[in-house]
Amino acid sequence: MSDLLGFVLSGLVSGALYALLATGLVLSYSASGLFNFAHGATAYLCALAFYELHSGFGWPAVPTAVLLVCVVAPVLGWGLDRLMFRKLARVGETAQIVATIGLLVALPALGLWIVELLEDAGASVKPAENQFGLPGVGPSPAKSWQLTDGVGIDSDQLITWVTTAVVAVGLWILMRHTPLGLKLRAAVDNRSLVELRGMSADRLSSIAWMLSSGLAGLAGVLATPLLGLSAHDFTLFLFVSATAAVLGRFVSIPLAFAGGLGLGVLQNLVAGYASFAERITGFRTAVPFLILFAGLLLMTRRSRTAGTAAVDAPPVDYLAGRSWLRRWGPWTAAAVLLAVAFYTVTTPFWSGILAQGLALSLVFVSFTVVTGLGAMVSLAQATFVTGAALVAGLLMSHGWPFIAAAAVGTCAAAVLGALVALPALRLGGRSLALATLALAFLADQVLFQIGWLRNGDTGWSIPRPAFGPVDLNDDRALGVALIVLVAAAVAALSALRGSPSGRAMLAVRSAPAAAMASGVSVVRTKLVLFTLSAGLAGFGGVMYASYNTRVTATDFTAMTGLIWLAVVVAAGLRRPQFAVVAGLVYALVPHLVSDYVTESVHLPVILFGLAGLALANDPDGYCAAVSVRAHRKRLARGTPKGTESGTAGDGLAASEPGTAGGVPTVTESGTGDGSTVAEPGTAGDPSAAAAAAYGSGADGDARPTAPASPGERPALQLRGIRAGYDGAPVLHGVDLVVRPGEILALLGPNGAGKSTTCRVAAGLVAPLGGRVYVAGRDATREGAVRRSRAGVVLAPEGRGIFPALTIEENLALYLREKDQREAVYERFPGLAGRRGVAAGSLSGGEQQMLALAPLLQRPPKVLIADEPSLGLAPRVVDDVFRLLTELRDTGTALLLVEEKATEVLGVADTVAYLAQGRVTWCGPRAAVEADRLTEAYLGLAAGSSGEPAAPETAVNSAMSAPSATSTASAASATSTTSATSAKDRRDSAEKAMATPGNQPGAADEEPPSSPDGETAAPHPRPTPSDTKGVVRP
Amino acid sequence: MSRTTRTIAAAAATTALLLATACNSASTSGTSKAENSVRGVTDDSIKVGGIVSMTTASGYSKKDTDLGAKARFDRANAEGGVNGRDIDYLGAEDDGQDPAKNLSAARKLVQQDKVFAIAPMSSTTFSGADFLQKQKVPTFGWGTLPSFCGPSYIYGFGGCMVPMPGGTISQTWPEGLKKVMGGAAGKSVAIIANDSDAGTFGIRTYKQSFASAGFKVTYAKPSVPAASAPSDWSAYTKEILRSDGGKAPDAIVSVMQTPYNIGLFTAIKRTGYAGLLTDPTDYDPGLLAKSATKKALDGVHVLLSFQPFEQDSAAMTQFKEDIRKAAGKDVPLNMHMMTGYMSADLFLAIAKKAGKDLTVASFQKAADGFADTGTMVGDRAEPKGQKESFGCGALVQLKDGKYVVSAPFECYQPIPFK
Repeated sequence: MSDLLGFVLSGLVSGALYALLATGLVLSYSASGLFNFAHGATAYLCALAFYELHSGFGWPAVPTAVLLVCVVAPVLGWGLDRLMFRKLARVGETAQIVATIGLLVALPALGLWIVELLEDAGASVKPAENQFGLPGVGPSPAKSWQLTDGVGIDSDQLITWVTTAVVAVGLWILMRHTPLGLKLRAAVDNRSLVELRGMSADRLSSIAWMLSSGLAGLAGVLATPLLGLSAHDFTLFLFVSATAAVLGRFVSIPLAFAGGLGLGVLQNLVAGYASFAERITGFRTAVPFLILFAGLLLMTRRSRTAGTAAVDAPPVDYLAGRSWLRRWGPWTAAAVLLAVAFYTVTTPFWSGILAQGLALSLVFVSFTVVTGLGAMVSLAQATFVTGAALVAGLLMSHGWPFIAAAAVGTCAAAVLGALVALPALRLGGRSLALATLALAFLADQVLFQIGWLRNGDTGWSIPRPAFGPVDLNDDRALGVALIVLVAAAVAALSALRGSPSGRAMLAVRSAPAAAMASGVSVVRTKLVLFTLSAGLAGFGGVMYASYNTRVTATDFTAMTGLIWLAVVVAAGLRRPQFAVVAGLVYALVPHLVSDYVTESVHLPVILFGLAGLALANDPDGYCAAVSVRAHRKRLARGTPKGTESGTAGDGLAASEPGTAGGVPTVTESGTGDGSTVAEPGTAGDPSAAAAAAYGSGADGDARPTAPASPGERPALQLRGIRAGYDGAPVLHGVDLVVRPGEILALLGPNGAGKSTTCRVAAGLVAPLGGRVYVAGRDATREGAVRRSRAGVVLAPEGRGIFPALTIEENLALYLREKDQREAVYERFPGLAGRRGVAAGSLSGGEQQMLALAPLLQRPPKVLIADEPSLGLAPRVVDDVFRLLTELRDTGTALLLVEEKATEVLGVADTVAYLAQGRVTWCGPRAAVEADRLTEAYLGLAAGSSGEPAAPETAVNSAMSAPSATSTASAASATSTTSATSAKDRRDSAEKAMATPGNQPGAADEEPPSSPDGETAAPHPRPTPSDTKGVVRP
Repeated sequence: MSRTTRTIAAAAATTALLLATACNSASTSGTSKAENSVRGVTDDSIKVGGIVSMTTASGYSKKDTDLGAKARFDRANAEGGVNGRDIDYLGAEDDGQDPAKNLSAARKLVQQDKVFAIAPMSSTTFSGADFLQKQKVPTFGWGTLPSFCGPSYIYGFGGCMVPMPGGTISQTWPEGLKKVMGGAAGKSVAIIANDSDAGTFGIRTYKQSFASAGFKVTYAKPSVPAASAPSDWSAYTKEILRSDGGKAPDAIVSVMQTPYNIGLFTAIKRTGYAGLLTDPTDYDPGLLAKSATKKALDGVHVLLSFQPFEQDSAAMTQFKEDIRKAAGKDVPLNMHMMTGYMSADLFLAIAKKAGKDLTVASFQKAADGFADTGTMVGDRAEPKGQKESFGCGALVQLKDGKYVVSAPFECYQPIPFK
């Protein structure tokens, strides 16, 4: 019994450290969606700093620790967030997973380099190597107390426990009982909504990273006596604590914390009682990774079943359709040159290094299969390499010929790959990455410890083969042979990519569910990819081992695999030839650097870590970036007049907002010929501003439709807004004016750009051209946060609430004062009774009420409501509209996007039609005509809206139809039906856009949904005089 | 022609072209002239390089090996060199405990720097061994890796320290303990190692070694996780401390690295254990600088395979003076300096025997049958040293903050390894 108590107590020590690290992991993951592999490195850096400051400079322990944990580590976290994590939050998952791996090695190297520099400068630093039994915060050596027989604790353990408990309580208070904690949790819940509520998600992300780094620093300082100054141990410790983060599903801090403590205890219990496994060498070593693997399998059960990595849009292939020569010519030439170089210019040393790089390239190419084609991040490639090489070596020691042994080794690796793939069928993204990492460690610690397989530290000799006259014992011959093999692998993979199977693989990559629906077996595809990749890695491993002429079980460890992946991803995963570049770079650069740049071994490692920074900017790697950037440059040269955004932007910049008197000065058609820039002087010309029906009457004052007094300043004004997503333009010059106390209803067919208009108005999407004015002030360059603070609130499509927060917390985010919240409860008693309930459990209507209700207490200047009635019951819709009317009466300017035209016409003061990214008509509600409404919905007007009717005519004719309103209502009834039937389709398109981080890929869906393909063309229509199809009443 | 077909066609064409190139040259470049080469040897100098793991992610470094070698070569040069040739020591390449870097360091030294020999080579990995053997580069280092056992060009300064099946086991550890404990009769020992293949091998070796010396081995298990030192030792100490029929054994033998030993010994001492603790790695005066390690290792007997710094002799005095000269100041001594120093020393001794006409062949000829006695690693003999260790060692005990010799340096008769 006392054994058990002892195991539990001492298990809680490592448990506490796991808990601290896991909490930090969860925090940083929540902040930017990154699994921070470098978290342990941060801890190491703090441990190193603590040691140098305390033992080297003689600073007192506790203040030094406080300084490090509360200042230095958070500053490091802040800096990294600013430099890379923030940008990484917006790129694909593979780049995310990999980017921090660079830091994993770079941060410790940075620390050691600084120590080296300080030492050279004569500072009293101590060497960081061979340091054991380092002092921690407490007394050194630690004081120990014997509680009962066999159960003792020491001061270091006590300090760890107490500190961890204090931190746990502190975190709990911070997260649960402070406004900051509330915001942090809100940011975890719905990052983009947080921005719309005027809180900077970036700032919150910085804070989360600072907290996370601080926790890592704390763990580092506390673990100094335990782990010493081994960056490797810190990283291993981190991987184990990832188990706890998995238990908390990377979201729940309390669960992760408890998981960490439990993990420490469990690990100790297994170590204490697992005598059954004594016969399995390495079992006890592997316990943490067994737990990690089991945790991943159990805990991720309810997540996506067929999920691979998040959809990341493939980069544009600029060479698509080019000739073979253009595409492969340079590569072929490089290969031939390299082969010739082996026998002409390279010295034996460089021949060897090149051969090594080529052998490694074979291994690296395998990454382009599993991760490039399959989007599955495998951290176990080194395992396949070791496995294949060991098997081949074992067979060759029994007299097998090289080729046969290599074939069997390759097959063995493929089998291993299939085994590793089994969990991949269930896991995706970072869970899969962690699972493969756990398996890689398991293989290192158990499988490759099997005596007959590894042959001790001697390993197996793998003599290079000789085929007739070709003796690969010559490095040059080996190099040329490897070029041939690598070329064959690249060609085969490129062929595979273009084959039906390859397309099936790509389909599984980008949309598993859709692929399944198309009859592609996701399971089979994944298995094939993993097996193929493992086999390729294995073959590369045999070749690499034959370059070394020997393989030992420790040549390629799981950590090596991590680094490899980072190297390949940095170069680019999309094409196998990029991996070859990566292999050569990896082999050559360290020697080049040491020959020509610096003798310090730390600097190259630090540079290598910067690959992570580069990934933040070019998530597809530097090889891909070369062609992308070259292409952009070409593009820029090719159109010297500038792209459309260039000219239009300039033209707009030239027009002064004040002088124009609220008149949109430049429209799409105005700059349509692409050569003339609209002059401010021409702005008042009604024909130039033709597309801007609204407010462009002669001089801007003639707004017969506006309910507000003409002199009143618009609350929100969009002028000539052009916007789109990644080369897919959506808006082509939208002009809108919303005045205080006015509801402007924006109607239009699917894909017209209504949601995009909302997002531009709210600052979520930066316009390519045009201006946004808030209360007369140019707010174009302001993001969502500042826009929101200026009083522009967007109620996004769907529900603008934080589902994981309670009703009370949701309200508190907008209403700081308690009595304001009470007023809401008074107005909506339905909410009052459930204020402690998570908002996500409310019904749709209640959620919408919850989103809008607080606005009544503190009315914003402008409310942009993107389909507030979407998916609500008719009675609830009435409530919502009543609420909106109330808001208007308080003076809020409302921009209302709606599908339910009947209802919206009941509340709107002004109506604008949007078609194909242009406002085709705008006028008072009374002037709305049935036909026009139908057109607006069915998009009939759209195809011919290049140059809509002159505004006066349109407005006048509308005015002259006395029965307009009633007709419109009748028509809207029918058009609503048709619009709703199309709802599902457009839902998918616009929803996807509303999801942050998804824009680039999803944006493609918008243009096709507009009936006229021409809107997708990057340039505006060339002839502004095209008025043929204007629909007149 | 489709793109795929064209790709394949082009690849095939390239293949054919490259294979043709390969054939042409492979036939002309296979022969090696290394046997009679005087690579790195001029009329007045011999070029020597080193490979040492200096920077590592684990925080373990052998970088003072370089200083030790430099100290020895400096003295050789001060004394007029070897047969009139100065040693041109290039310094050591850092392999960072990375197998790939170890090999490329070996390649760089041989192919680019064109060294005659490599001394010292001290790392946890030696993937350059096959290359050096093939290139016929005499290499001297710490024989704790299997590559030091067998290959004809690779020499361990204390012999091959990895017991090989069919070879022998050095009895320095149990014999030294016998001296400390007053004989082996009735004395029980527990042996603990890491849970890895290497640990299992260590257990197998020392179990036989201690048993044949007359000790009662009550516990011999590779049970400690090998990836990183555990924070909680209670699970491992429990079983050891009850292994001798419910009692604690008379001695606990740890076959692990320093960080593990510190944790293990601290945990064991807290239980009030009064027996003897011993390990083979913690002879590092640097450990005395920290109170935690000083306390954890206090009383521990450490096995050395060379003469302790605390045991005086002419050679030791010389060693200390050489190190001081090379470092330019008084530096705390450690075993890596000794490793580098004695690696260089063995190379110098054989090179001297090879005579004025120094080639790889003459060097190898001199090594065959080389023998001397009374060095700081005992009585050296080649090629015996390429099969087994020289079998000499000492025990030192950490007492009141300094090392004292508990079993003086001596050579023992090895036993056959089963």
